[in-house]
Amino acid sequence: MAETIHADKTIDARGSYCPGPLMELIKTLKQVPVGTVVEVWSSDAGSKRDIPQWAERAKQELVYIRDEDGYAAIGVRKVK
Amino acid sequence: MAEATAPKLSVVLVSPQLEKLHAAATMTSVAALSGMQVNLFITMEALRMFLKETVEKRDFVVEGEVSRTLLAKEVPLYYQMLADAKESGDMHIYACALAADIMGWKKEEMLEIIDDVIGVSEYFGIALGGIILTM
Repeated sequence: MAETIHADKTIDARGSYCPGPLMELIKTLKQVPVGTVVEVWSSDAGSKRDIPQWAERAKQELVYIRDEDGYAAIGVRKVK
Repeated sequence: MAEATAPKLSVVLVSPQLEKLHAAATMTSVAALSGMQVNLFITMEALRMFLKETVEKRDFVVEGEVSRTLLAKEVPLYYQMLADAKESGDMHIYACALAADIMGWKKEEMLEIIDDVIGVSEYFGIALGGIILTM
């Protein structure tokens, strides 16, 4: 059974359109220490593709994408 | 923090259409917050969309269903997205000296997000070595 990773910080960006959830995530990651897992809630369907793409390019770690009721919870760990 | 795939993105805004301004603001905001240096050059009729008066009167150029829906859903518009991106990223916004001169628009009449009024050769100096898009 996979270990469940808990977020250290959660951003509720539901109702916000592209690029709102990503922008909120980037701004938050800039402020937290390395190792922190930030979870962003997005009801914008594009975020599930866009945020992982951003994380890969920015060399941050995508730790999970969870489908919740009407939104996705996307967890990203700050690694640098 | 973030690593960009290109060091510099420059976007020249010519059209006043809300959909083009919104697309440009979306792309440049993400670029700036991803660690790229972004330089916007606003010229011709697009510059009118960066006057305080235009924004106060919400005198936007709305063509097509997407623009109408953007307004109806009250999403943050181009000038708000750019102001937000400027706070957290390396973004610079320049008004074209030609358009400003020909229309008699002063920098004080423009939105606070406009950093300076400059000419084309100065902009080329700033944009050199990066990607340049025109919208």
